[in-house]
Amino acid sequence: MNSLTTYLFIAALLFSLGIFGVFQRRSLIGMLIAIELMLNAASINFMAFNRFLAPDPIVGQIYTLFIMGIAAAEAAIALSIIVALFRRLRSINIERAQELRG
Amino acid sequence: MNSVQSLIQPHLLAQAGFAAVVVLTFAGALIAVFPRNILYNILGLIVCLTGVAGLFVYLGSPFIALMQLLIYVGAICISIIFAIMLSRPLHLSVPKRRLPKVGLAAGVGAVVFLMLAGIISRTPWQPAVSRSSDWSVTTLGHYLLTRYDLVFEAISLVLLVAILGAIVISGYARRRPS
Amino acid sequence: MTSSWFQDPTLLAAALAALLPFVTFALIMIFTRPYPKLSAAISIAAVSVSLVCAIFLLSSHWHLEKPIQYAAKWIISGDIYIPFGFLLDQLSLVMLTIVAVISFLVQVYSLGYMAGDPGFARYYAFQSLFAWAMMTMSIAPTMLQFYVFWELVGLASYLLIGFYYEKFSASEAGKKAFVMTRFGDIAFFLGLLLVLFNFGNLNILDMNSVDVTARMSPALITLSAILIFGGVAGKSAQFPLLTWLPDAMEGPTPVSALLHSATMVAAGVYMFARIFPFFSHSAAAMNTFLAIGTITMLLASTMAMVTRDIKQVWAYSTVSQLGFMVMGLAAGSYFAGIFHLTTHAGFKALLFLCSGVFIHEFETNDFFEMGKYGGRGLKVPMVCMTVAAAALSGLPPLSGFFSKEAIMGGLAGLHNPVWLWAGLLGAFLTAYYSFRLIFSILFPRKIEKTHQGEHGGHGHGHDGGHHHVGIYWVMAWPLIILASITLVLGFFHTPLENFLVGHHGGAEAHGGHHAWLLYVAVGLALSGVGLAWLEFGRKGASQVGFVEKIEPMSRLFANRWYIDHFYRRFLDYFIYGIVSNLFTRNDRRVIDGGIDGICRATVGSGWALSFLQSGMLQYNLMVMFAVLALVALYFFF
Repeated sequence: MNSLTTYLFIAALLFSLGIFGVFQRRSLIGMLIAIELMLNAASINFMAFNRFLAPDPIVGQIYTLFIMGIAAAEAAIALSIIVALFRRLRSINIERAQELRG
Repeated sequence: MNSVQSLIQPHLLAQAGFAAVVVLTFAGALIAVFPRNILYNILGLIVCLTGVAGLFVYLGSPFIALMQLLIYVGAICISIIFAIMLSRPLHLSVPKRRLPKVGLAAGVGAVVFLMLAGIISRTPWQPAVSRSSDWSVTTLGHYLLTRYDLVFEAISLVLLVAILGAIVISGYARRRPS
Repeated sequence: MTSSWFQDPTLLAAALAALLPFVTFALIMIFTRPYPKLSAAISIAAVSVSLVCAIFLLSSHWHLEKPIQYAAKWIISGDIYIPFGFLLDQLSLVMLTIVAVISFLVQVYSLGYMAGDPGFARYYAFQSLFAWAMMTMSIAPTMLQFYVFWELVGLASYLLIGFYYEKFSASEAGKKAFVMTRFGDIAFFLGLLLVLFNFGNLNILDMNSVDVTARMSPALITLSAILIFGGVAGKSAQFPLLTWLPDAMEGPTPVSALLHSATMVAAGVYMFARIFPFFSHSAAAMNTFLAIGTITMLLASTMAMVTRDIKQVWAYSTVSQLGFMVMGLAAGSYFAGIFHLTTHAGFKALLFLCSGVFIHEFETNDFFEMGKYGGRGLKVPMVCMTVAAAALSGLPPLSGFFSKEAIMGGLAGLHNPVWLWAGLLGAFLTAYYSFRLIFSILFPRKIEKTHQGEHGGHGHGHDGGHHHVGIYWVMAWPLIILASITLVLGFFHTPLENFLVGHHGGAEAHGGHHAWLLYVAVGLALSGVGLAWLEFGRKGASQVGFVEKIEPMSRLFANRWYIDHFYRRFLDYFIYGIVSNLFTRNDRRVIDGGIDGICRATVGSGWALSFLQSGMLQYNLMVMFAVLALVALYFFF
């Protein structure tokens, strides 16, 4: 539990699960949830590097805080897009949002 | 009491806690990803984020763990729930799952994991030569308002713009008859 | 040097003279365009300051020893150094003064001529632009600065010729002037580049020094001199490019006076004089110029003999006099060319301004009509015009006489007598066509005094309205000033010559001042006048010139020797027929075909690739990540 690679592997697994979720879900909200997982994986990485490698343990924490801020902004925008798309398509199924189909 | 204390070693307790947190994280992540009912997903996400908060405690920063709970669990998950509530009870009609797509997604996920794992195991991680041990929240706040104040302001601006944009986007759709 | 900017009166005056008109132009265009009176006032004030400065410079440097040069660094590239600044020597001072005087008089005159025109403020803005460009050009220290302002002069001239832009022929004439001079300017620029690359310097003083022969081979000097002369031919309407000038008469008459008689077209000749020593390094080039000048002079004189348009006559005579100046310079008599340029500026501006009064009064350009409606009733312009025409013809006490004699003297100094005879023939023709016009107005066959009130010469002058009297005098004063200049300028022959060529020593070729030449020239001019009198002046004259009796000849002259037709044919057959046809083919087949092919290929491949584009966000992302992961794997293992 006290080694860097443990945490990195946990984060990598979380990230891969997120990717899997993003690709596999058919609802937009599901995809958003998966993206949150990926962001969290990134946060874990930052905190781990901060804990084991960084010269100044404050910087990683600040980065993590900023990631949270970005995540909040991203969630707000994504949710509003989802709501708008739902009004338009009467669905949040990503496979129906194919207006750019070639 | 004494016997119990001696029975359960402190580091053993810590390891058990760590295992619990990891299990919590992955169980939450799996629930967040797999079930087709979206409410389950959200609950899974909450569990997973709580687990990550626990990991942050183990990484030495209870403050960030608290913030994680506050922002993610308290704000983001709740707003997702609100979004579900705003868009009719469509979550009840669960979309079907198509096996090829799931397989493909699993394949890509596996490739990415392999790549990450390879990079992690192959990189010789070197800690910095001199490392300070100042983890106090005071210093963190000090840094936020001195060295990183520009970033801090930028993040605030981004948040403001994001909120305005969210209002505009959803409001625009409301005015539009469809 | 910069610290003494305001302490050095010379520099201050030069800067003021050269830059004030530009400030005026900007002011008028930006702020005062809606206020015509204010704009005119600003413009005239600025140009009078320039005039005062110019006269101050001329008088304070009357005993100038060597040229004064002020220069700021402008372009430095390797060993090429091109300054921007002022060069004050005898020639540029004289030119500056001429430009300032003519600009000032024309602007005052325009107060009357342009009164009530909707574009009044715009007109003054363009006048100021022109004055700025012309003055800065006159005192340019390098050929590059000279070229820049030369082009600005061209622009101002285009704007002024096309001033009545709503009139089709005017805008056409503006374009023609612009494009035709452009041909010359391209050659000019090429010549400058040749000099720049081979000599490494465009400084006028350096170009005029003997160093040039050391650093450039004679053939190269000849080539660049002929190329540079292309600019002269364009601007001064010399032989191959002479047809734009008569068309340029579409502009307002004061503009014709300013640009196309006294200053702008003289810019070409001025440039010739400016780098005269450079040109004179090449005898072959000088002979070419001499031929071109002669051809131009004779062609233009013949054209002037048949036209009925008063402005056209003066335009042709301008072309022919410019040809005369080029002849004089090319014959090696530097001073004679400049002197003729100076006197010509005076009397030609006078001629145009007088014509302007007639045109303004009778609203026609046909001088036979003017005569018919009582043109001789306008006393002041009539007298002034006669004086100017006499000067143009080279009759004795007037300025033109002295300058023409000087050029004739130069021509007589040449070995080949052809040039002298051509010059004398030109003098005869000039006298003939000028007095053809004068006599036609003075002694019309019949006078229709009661013509329509509006157009009656007397009627208009007197009962046409009181405001006209004021306008008439605003226009008359510049005429009187110019007429007196024309009268006296000739007697300044010697001081001017000492001023201009004092330190050039006795190198000038006017040892050929033969007495017989003087009598022959005056005699020929008088016989020209006499012929004109016989045909147009005496009672019961037919008022049909001898040229007009010979049908093919008059047709040839009236059609300008078919030069324009030749250009048109050339355009039609060569440019449109062959060159642009080839370009069109190239466009259609090669370029369009290529583009179309690319288009088709793009559309086709897009169609093919669109199967990949399902519109499914997740597949796109999936591919993206998979590729990213594979690339990373490839690089790490």
